[in-house]
Amino acid sequence: MTGSHRILARAALAVLATVGFAASSAAADAPAAAGPLALVEARCAACHNSTDWAGGVAFDTLSPDNLHGDVEVWEETVRKLRGRLMPPPGEPQPTQREIDSLVGWLETRLDAAAAAAPPDPGYVGLHRLNRNEYAREIRRILDLDVDVTTLLPRDVFSEGFDNQAATLRMSPSFLDQYITAARTVARQAIGRTDAKSSSHEYRAPSSLDQSKHVDGLPLGTRGGFWVDHHFPADGEYVFSIREFFAMGAGYVTKVDHAHTVILTIDGRRVFQQTYGGPDDLKAVDQRQAIAADEIQNRFNQIRVPVQAGVRRIGVSFIQRSFAQSDSQLQPIAMLPEMERVPRIPGFTVAGPFDVTGLGDTPSRRRIFSCQPASAAEEPACARRILADLAAAAFRRPVNEEDLAAPLSFYTRARETRDFEAGIEGGLTAILSSTRFLLRSAPALTGDEAQPLTDLELATRLGFFLWSTGPDQRLIELATAGRLQDERVLAGEVARMLADPRATALVDNFAFQWLNVARMGNFQVDPTLYPDFDHNLRAALREEIRLFLGDTLRADRSVLDLLRSDTTFLNERLAQHYRVRNVRGDQFRPVRLTDVNRHGLLGKGALLMATSYGNRTSPVLRGVWVMDTLFANPPYAPPPGVEQFPENEPGKSMGTVRERLESHRALKSCNFCHGVIDPLGFALENFDVTGAWRDRDLDANEPIDAHGRLSSGVEVTGPAELARAILARPDTFVQAFTEKLMTYALGRPLRAQDMPALRRIVREAAGQEYRLGSLVRGIVASDAFRKRQPPEEGEPDGTAHVAHAGAGR
Amino acid sequence: MFITKKHLSRRTLLRGLGASVSLPLLDAMIPAGVALAQTAAAAKPRLGFFYFPHGAVMEQWTPAATGRDFELNYINAALTPFKDQLTVLSNLGNKPGESRAVHALVPATWLSCVHPRETLEPYMAPTIDQIAAKHIGQDTPWPSLETATAQGQGTGSACERGYGCTYTGTLSFANSTTPLPVESNPRQLFLRLFGQGDSAAERRFLAEQTGSILDMINDEMSQLNRKLGPRDRNTLDDYLASVREIERRLQNNAQGDLANLTLPEVPGATSENFDEHLRLMFDLVLLAYQGNLTRVQSFMLAPEVSEMTYNHIGVPDAFHAISHHANDPAKKDRLAQIQKYHVEVFADFLAKMRAIPDGEGNMLENSMLLFGSNMSNSNAHNQFPLPTTILGRGAGKLRGGQHIDFGRRTPLANVHLTLLQRAGVPIEQLGDSTGAVTEI
Repeated sequence: MTGSHRILARAALAVLATVGFAASSAAADAPAAAGPLALVEARCAACHNSTDWAGGVAFDTLSPDNLHGDVEVWEETVRKLRGRLMPPPGEPQPTQREIDSLVGWLETRLDAAAAAAPPDPGYVGLHRLNRNEYAREIRRILDLDVDVTTLLPRDVFSEGFDNQAATLRMSPSFLDQYITAARTVARQAIGRTDAKSSSHEYRAPSSLDQSKHVDGLPLGTRGGFWVDHHFPADGEYVFSIREFFAMGAGYVTKVDHAHTVILTIDGRRVFQQTYGGPDDLKAVDQRQAIAADEIQNRFNQIRVPVQAGVRRIGVSFIQRSFAQSDSQLQPIAMLPEMERVPRIPGFTVAGPFDVTGLGDTPSRRRIFSCQPASAAEEPACARRILADLAAAAFRRPVNEEDLAAPLSFYTRARETRDFEAGIEGGLTAILSSTRFLLRSAPALTGDEAQPLTDLELATRLGFFLWSTGPDQRLIELATAGRLQDERVLAGEVARMLADPRATALVDNFAFQWLNVARMGNFQVDPTLYPDFDHNLRAALREEIRLFLGDTLRADRSVLDLLRSDTTFLNERLAQHYRVRNVRGDQFRPVRLTDVNRHGLLGKGALLMATSYGNRTSPVLRGVWVMDTLFANPPYAPPPGVEQFPENEPGKSMGTVRERLESHRALKSCNFCHGVIDPLGFALENFDVTGAWRDRDLDANEPIDAHGRLSSGVEVTGPAELARAILARPDTFVQAFTEKLMTYALGRPLRAQDMPALRRIVREAAGQEYRLGSLVRGIVASDAFRKRQPPEEGEPDGTAHVAHAGAGR
Repeated sequence: MFITKKHLSRRTLLRGLGASVSLPLLDAMIPAGVALAQTAAAAKPRLGFFYFPHGAVMEQWTPAATGRDFELNYINAALTPFKDQLTVLSNLGNKPGESRAVHALVPATWLSCVHPRETLEPYMAPTIDQIAAKHIGQDTPWPSLETATAQGQGTGSACERGYGCTYTGTLSFANSTTPLPVESNPRQLFLRLFGQGDSAAERRFLAEQTGSILDMINDEMSQLNRKLGPRDRNTLDDYLASVREIERRLQNNAQGDLANLTLPEVPGATSENFDEHLRLMFDLVLLAYQGNLTRVQSFMLAPEVSEMTYNHIGVPDAFHAISHHANDPAKKDRLAQIQKYHVEVFADFLAKMRAIPDGEGNMLENSMLLFGSNMSNSNAHNQFPLPTTILGRGAGKLRGGQHIDFGRRTPLANVHLTLLQRAGVPIEQLGDSTGAVTEI
């Protein structure tokens, strides 16, 4: 709230007395206007008043007749009440009925005021493609998979998402890397016969368990790893399987038995060689390092002809029978070289050598819609190719002006070399253009909200549901001016949700909403969790991906996210979850009998994402539940709070719970932690890796998973927590929808957006809160379909405040 | 005169020349309010930190005599032509580098002289190359460069549980928690330093093309500008500022130090021949100095726990294996041979450096290069006495031509502190240092 706003609000002070704020003990059956607000007077105004200004809010300065005028404060009031964050724990609490009545009263009035006011869709300005969208756009335009992590810098997250327009800024290093990326992508897409050889080194993650089959490699193999590698041209490539055997402290190991190493390209074996066995063992015994060198040399300089394109390179061992024993036991080693069988630590690919051509890659097929038979045909063909590429890249039909730069780049590059180099130049220009890099560039006049153009809507839909620009069909409908026809639009939304590209909603939206990435960001303490390895981490991530995909893509109720008894397991993960009779590496749907594993709260990936490497954190988990499932994150702790006491060697610190008891002691801590900690305590039966535990091994105490939520509901364990959340489904669904809408719009929601949000949720209730119903609601909203003219005033891209009051 | 925020943004840009930028590198930027006199106007030496793993056979490393009249020992014989440029330091120890984790810690603790916290996540202190880069590296395209002959972590046993794997693959920490990745692929390093393109003609073409791209973006932006609100103009300004910065860099490349440099052919695929690879990396390190692309470099000649064999010099043993020589004289001799070879390749690099005129003298004369290891006797895994030699006289800031024997155990950090001070870094204390060394 701005200063001037507050002064105006204060001027309205006098109004308050007239609506009975003085009434101290309001009953639920008091007169409609005075009754609910009497609760504010009784339970809130003792701190939130114009003397104390607690949290920058003073209810005695607000007029109940003009809620819309103070919409930020009232929406924040609703949010805090809904989440039972206020009144804070330790203070006298109203009943749930009293709160519901007040919230209902406020929401009804706020919604009615918004409905009466002119549409306020908010403003999303210049919106740059993020790294992820860039990669998907390259796939859409050029049918080419690029490793975007090596090309572009990481994007800044805001509101939990990497697609928020206001934070996707441009800096010299960004621009520099986008130009380099354009060049690299153009070259990869077209290929080059005179490509200079280069080498790439790939290393297996050091905790990858190679004692069993690795998913993605041919069946019948053990261990190893694979990568998708871009081969720039048809030709010879040289592979070296480096440091192939571990020599712990100089001793050549694991040569006792013969193992067969194979190199595969797209699943086809191109090299096979034996490692170990009696001869090697003898040689190593007699000549140590010299013999080791000789053995290594068998795996160096492996020349293989490969055709251009992205191909999967796999290096692994041929699996031996059980009788020959490849150690079917779990590796007990903490370090890879202690495994009982050899592993593949890494390999290099060098090339191309002796280039024979550029082959027939998908991207070349996409690009070269014509091939000039003579120099005279070149200009027309170039124009055709570049016009097609520019239209795809710019997400709209192109005009002469759009083609000016690509054609001049073509001409300049054509002069230095050949036709294909010219196309490469033109493509570089297209991919460097802001017309490609900016997914929207609004240009508006006037001061009323205006609907998006059809093409803008197509682009917004594409990035929302697919994380890419619109496909050909959407562009055609938009160009024909038919996309805003509600029936056509509904059909397109349904089509897009059913399309495989809608997995972007899982991989981008849902993963970011749930902050799944954090599970991969820390090392798990191997002394506490010796059986944790790369394979388990990968399995946990795959489970959550499949689980989310199953619920979201099948258009089920989003409440199933919290209650579904079906998940996806492979053998490794089933063991981790103590589920019987799941064999092999492949994931398959499994019905879970253990109710504590149902839904998101039982998913190891999320439990890991909310832990530290050496201990669980009820605080992290509680904050995660509040932020993710309630869209009601607590404020950051005040400066100067003490760090969590760490374990000291040889000294038991007691359970994590005991250590957090200190939060109770201090009133100022308890205000937030009284809400946060019980949510986390309910999940304490899950350890750092998401495995079930009955005892805290650190403290050697039984786990106490009991907590009293701020609503007063008592829960013990994950299943009861899930039930408590599901008891008020609209809170969860509204939180989910708020996150989805933030992602869809590329901007944080404002207080002004809340009436629309509530309407979407209300309307979806009749459709069991299916994902589709929420998506349709968002697509139908003014915020999605219209745009506010740019504000005059301070040019400040970060002016949005997610939750009113958060800035104070 | 003070360096403004503008200066910072330029540094940000120039960092971006690289293939990838990680945010923590921003920490290496100059703190606001450093007087310009300390950074740009005053002559700044080139610093280099050259690390070899597995210590040295000290009785074949340390010169017998001390003072100015001494003969270099067997391992260091190849440095004899540079005797007036070098300072051999004896009886140095690095207590903070000591631990049961040994190989897991010695590379990164060499230049920090701070014992890492025993956690899996990195937590130590900035290394001296990075401290120097903040002060003298800010007006070159890269504040510092980190290179090696092998990528990332060493082999498995170089990772010690308890400390994680982050101290073994790099010499450089930008701050307490940010280990800097090393570049070991000569081709990638070349492209990063001198731009994309496999030939001078192609690099010229691409530079020109970049200019055209910037023009195109400028045109697009000015069209947009007429239609946008003030909030978007902010984003637009970001774009235009970016364009201007890149233009300036292109100009620098075309007219600055780089223009006078004859670049060799771009390296192709990485060679499996270690000798070739090592020499190529040294050539690129030299070119980076020569083109004034950076003033501060750290380079690992071989990875920690390298099990590579040195057949090309007639030593068939794996490096790490033979470093556990069990005091067998024959094995010690073969180990010393490997160490002597590393010194010889380094000496070839020094010779090239000396041949390059620089200011009043030559480039070696004006540099300060630390050459050493953070282990002494590889069989004992100890951190005292450390093999340590300084090359170059830092444009007169170092005496050179002497062998200083401290007589009793002295912290390596004292030498680091001295080097930083002589390089113009205002610093009084570092790790376990007890004071600067006036004799150097």
